[in-house]
Amino acid sequence: MAVIAGLVVGLFLLILSLVAPQSYQAVRGAALDVTAPISGGLNEVTATVTGLVSGAGNYWDAASQNEQLKRDRAALMIRMVEARAIVEENKQLKAALQLRERIRSTVATGRVVGSSFESPRRFAIISVGTSDGVQVGMPVRAPEGLIGRVIDAGSTASRVLLVSDRANIVPARILRGGQPVISTGRGDGTIDVRPLEVGRNPFKPGDIIVTSGTGGLYPPLVPIAKIIRLDDDGAIALPIADPSRVSFAIVEPPFEPTALAVATAPTEETP
Amino acid sequence: MVRSALATKGARLNQGPRTGADYLPAATVIIGSMISLLPIVSATGWWPDWGLLLLVAWRLLRADAWPAWWAAPLGFINDLVVGNPIGLSVALWAAMMLAMDILDRRTMWRDYWIEWGIAALFIALAELAQWRVAALLGAPVPLGVTAGPAILIGVLCFPIAAFLAARVDRWRLGR
Repeated sequence: MAVIAGLVVGLFLLILSLVAPQSYQAVRGAALDVTAPISGGLNEVTATVTGLVSGAGNYWDAASQNEQLKRDRAALMIRMVEARAIVEENKQLKAALQLRERIRSTVATGRVVGSSFESPRRFAIISVGTSDGVQVGMPVRAPEGLIGRVIDAGSTASRVLLVSDRANIVPARILRGGQPVISTGRGDGTIDVRPLEVGRNPFKPGDIIVTSGTGGLYPPLVPIAKIIRLDDDGAIALPIADPSRVSFAIVEPPFEPTALAVATAPTEETP
Repeated sequence: MVRSALATKGARLNQGPRTGADYLPAATVIIGSMISLLPIVSATGWWPDWGLLLLVAWRLLRADAWPAWWAAPLGFINDLVVGNPIGLSVALWAAMMLAMDILDRRTMWRDYWIEWGIAALFIALAELAQWRVAALLGAPVPLGVTAGPAILIGVLCFPIAAFLAARVDRWRLGR
């Protein structure tokens, strides 16, 4: 019976995708190329509609908003001057220590056009692919913070493993104090952070978690998440770069180029 | 003889199924899979798998909606579009067709509530399989925060899929 053959073929394909996830790279990439333009086109429409609605809403209390923004700008000006001074000082100190500054480059910039809203995995689709220079394993960030890393690349679209996915483990540290922690997704849009060293719970609600650069894939000091709740020996955090809100997804080369070879090697993490 | 019935040209009589009626059920399943292409960027994966819901709805409505083996290629399309590990839906959907064939042979009748129960069972099994495969692929998410709500939402959405399948069935057969 043909349906039994279908079942057997399905099981075979499934076992193959479990033991050798890389074997479907070409076909998955091609499927992304075919389907992503649909999401992209629809995304334009919804962005325009929501833009009209929120644009109208902004006019509603423009006067008080203007006041607020002016106050904020004045405060930020002071902070910016302070930050400039610190950057200058940092540069001088680094020069004194003869640390080499790495120039951060961008591989490609795209938009987040879709997500896996019907599966327990957390993926997003971005509108750039191998024709823009994107390769599997490259880190993806937004101006606000880290989004994840590329796991499937088609020629015009790629699939990103979000930091909120369970399989995405990011070496990180607490911005306040710099204690090393490990960030793991929880699959429901939040992130689980645990300290590397066992001991007193180092987290406080409101703490910012940034990448540490350990492992060489993600660049250091990219914001990942903000602590919202403590549990017994770690904490639950909310990603700072919400994939549904970010304006752009920036694909960067791996921080240490050798890390890409490790990331693209068949691991258990890539489906 | 009621001549008026014969005289009115084609109002009720001589209306066969619409062209392409044999392929329409499968097409709706593919459209259901393609709902995942909507530009919804969600933090959680609780949305139902509409391809699966429509497949189960069609199969419960009619045993001859498509040859049973079509479930395998339909599952393959679903895997590619949704981004599942390839083979997951192929195996699951083919297995569901087999299970339904066995169920049809064993049961004398079924009413709406039994159909909903069967659909709930299939949806739960599919979500659990997806959850298990995700765990095997290195993402052991807790059951309560992902598969649990997804099963509940899928089961509650099934009547919509059943309604759509029934409506499309009536339309395609021109009745």
